[in-house]
Amino acid sequence: MRSVAGIVLALTLCAGLAGAGLAAEFPAKEVQIIIPWAPGGATDLVFRALAAGTSKHLGKAVVVVNKAGGGGAVGYTEAMQARPDGYTLVTAVTPLTILPHQATTTFTYQSFDPVINVVQDPAMFQVRADAQWKTLSEFLEYAKKNPDTITVGNSGAGGGVHLIALAFEKAAGVKFNHIPFAGGGPSITALLGGHVHAVSCSPPEGIAHVRAGKLRIIALFSEKRFEAFPAVPTVREQGVNFAMGQWRGLAAPKGTPPDIVKTLHDAFKKGMEDPGFVKTAQDMTVNLAYLDPVEFGKVMAADHDRYAKLIQEIKKQ
Amino acid sequence: MDALGSLQYLATGFGVATTSENLFYCLAGAIVGTLVGVLPGLGPIAGIALLIPATFNLNATSAIIMLAGIYYGAMYGGSTTSILLNVPGETASVMTCIDGYQMAKKGRAGPALAICAIGSFVAGGLAILGLVFLAPPLAEAALAFGPPEFFSLMVFGFVVLSNVTGGSLIKSLMMAVVGLIIGTIGLDPVSGNPRFTFGYVSLLGGIEFVAVAIGLFGIGEVLMNAEQPVEILEQRVLVPRLRDLYPSLRDLKQSVGAILRGTGIGFGVGLVPGPAPVIATYASYMVEKRISDHPETFGHGAIEGVAGPESANNAACQAAFIPLFVLGIPFAPPTAILLGALLIHGVNPGPAMIAEHPQLFWGVVASMYIGNVILLLLNLPFVPLFANILRIPKKVLLPLVMLFCLTGMYSVNNFMLDLWVMLGCGALGYLMRKWAYEGAPLLLALVLGPKLEVAFRQSLMISHGGFGIFVERPVSLVFLVATLGFLLLPLLRYTVRSLGHRAAAV
Repeated sequence: MRSVAGIVLALTLCAGLAGAGLAAEFPAKEVQIIIPWAPGGATDLVFRALAAGTSKHLGKAVVVVNKAGGGGAVGYTEAMQARPDGYTLVTAVTPLTILPHQATTTFTYQSFDPVINVVQDPAMFQVRADAQWKTLSEFLEYAKKNPDTITVGNSGAGGGVHLIALAFEKAAGVKFNHIPFAGGGPSITALLGGHVHAVSCSPPEGIAHVRAGKLRIIALFSEKRFEAFPAVPTVREQGVNFAMGQWRGLAAPKGTPPDIVKTLHDAFKKGMEDPGFVKTAQDMTVNLAYLDPVEFGKVMAADHDRYAKLIQEIKKQ
Repeated sequence: MDALGSLQYLATGFGVATTSENLFYCLAGAIVGTLVGVLPGLGPIAGIALLIPATFNLNATSAIIMLAGIYYGAMYGGSTTSILLNVPGETASVMTCIDGYQMAKKGRAGPALAICAIGSFVAGGLAILGLVFLAPPLAEAALAFGPPEFFSLMVFGFVVLSNVTGGSLIKSLMMAVVGLIIGTIGLDPVSGNPRFTFGYVSLLGGIEFVAVAIGLFGIGEVLMNAEQPVEILEQRVLVPRLRDLYPSLRDLKQSVGAILRGTGIGFGVGLVPGPAPVIATYASYMVEKRISDHPETFGHGAIEGVAGPESANNAACQAAFIPLFVLGIPFAPPTAILLGALLIHGVNPGPAMIAEHPQLFWGVVASMYIGNVILLLLNLPFVPLFANILRIPKKVLLPLVMLFCLTGMYSVNNFMLDLWVMLGCGALGYLMRKWAYEGAPLLLALVLGPKLEVAFRQSLMISHGGFGIFVERPVSLVFLVATLGFLLLPLLRYTVRSLGHRAAAV
């Protein structure tokens, strides 16, 4: 590690003392976060709230800009091409490690330097409260006896919760019938109406109905139990060695000077701890999970490989 | 919940909504909504999303009152540019272009604008009554729509509405097919593979409906005008007389039925998942044309063709609050953003919401009444002002329209491709006008096509490929039979008539 740090230091020095001088004044103007999706989604809401709480720690305003299009590809391409000076950031969320396997994109997660991870949403299966399966083992047993029968809705073909459902199916040794919907909302509607047996989703989708007793969490894929429902055990506790979730963090274009990344990381970390932001996150049932740049980079790398395999399997079918 | 209880709660709601603070936010929402509705491209979705951060420090009730005001306020504003410039201000105002713009061309922009405000007001008021008394049972009923039911409903809508503006059936069907083809661009909804993107990453998200709508109608109209001789372009086109600015008693009489029917259609359609306001306007126009005793005036400035759809889109927009509040599920993009706003303010909408947050629910409902009154008062005085826009000589007005379309469209997604799509569709719209092809069927197909495909493939996935699923479900069967009836009825009538003739001849 020391040698890596040394190389980085040497490179920074080689890049020119002028650069270092400029970096000391960072930030000299407002910092913009590109969100590669339309306004109003969960990522958009979380980072708008975080931007509001971080500005005072950074000393300059943090501005959120939506660059929707191409299922996220447009925003990532633009962020990748931005000058790596720390004034342009992008929200790094799970699809960043999925998209490059689905289409020929110009970017991968390696086109960016990780800054901080903010959210880790547990993925889960929900069923109707009156479903015939009361426990995970009943559910899986039925699935084993009747392969390809249990219909599992998801928020979109090739999206995060769809791929997670496929991965769970492999880990548990069963086969579901996956039905894609245009977003998490429609999949929950279909579950409530009894048109599918279960839904693969992540909070806040369906949570209000779980609280109201209309839906139940039958399988929880997080490492730890979900804070909002401490009585629900994870699938790993019940003998299925599986955990997967979706993350939302921030990244900068590749080549952003490390000291600037550190300044940004420190400011956003303080923003994450801001009581106003913590309350907003709680209200939205968003699971805050801080990771530093190194750890966040590892998570992205691991998921990139995992999704590559999963998507190859779908394409074979 | 019994009716009397609802009224009592509503009274408390008015107490919440009439505090000076909440009145202010209601007014602010109505004004912003009217503005985003008037500007082409920018619609309620962008308006609500942009203002969410401004509500971080407000209490939840005030925040939702303002954001909801933007949504229904946009339904009032959306008609303005449709009528004056043939540019749909937002997606639900496409149908208003057809007769509204013709009315404006005949110097009757004032009555058209005024009837939009009045129709929206009546529809809004009646639809909120539905929201107060019928919300929970209606929301449960909406859940009966699974993929097969949705597919059959879409087929019905497609067959009934594709020739909505009349004219050549063949040409309408051709345009509908073009719309279906455009709708397939982007990621395949089932496999997630890119379709017809030709390697362009920008096309993965598909073609933006608003860009196509503004291109076909607005830019196409500008190009059409631009080919006129210079003398005409320099003329002041229309100078409406003052007494022609507001609807006459005859106009009002003609519109009453259309407004009420539009309200009913809009409210019903608004409860079904999907792009309700757009479909509701098509359906309302269709109904008005069918039952009118002077159907030949439609497409040439029939006031019912403006009053019906404009009432329908407002009713649909109010009805869309029912699934949002009662189920916590947004059926349309603007309500999806409102859901986000509710979550940010710690309100988790769902079956328990009305009981858990009565202040918020009834306060917002009461504020909708106040908001609709504000919007009526806000919009009627602006009629002369807006109508006077047509006094601007065309050589100045047309470049301005172009400018508004370009900036408005770019501001929706900050996405260059949308502008190219809009300009391309503008050229297409010009050619279509030259050869008398209608834009409305194309737009309908673009909206319905992708939903139809998803519902069809979902159904078949659920049934493992069995087509029986569409006829085994009663709701689905009813729609399919209705579709068949609609197609066969003219044939049947013809056969019976020709048999009758033959019998008479013998």
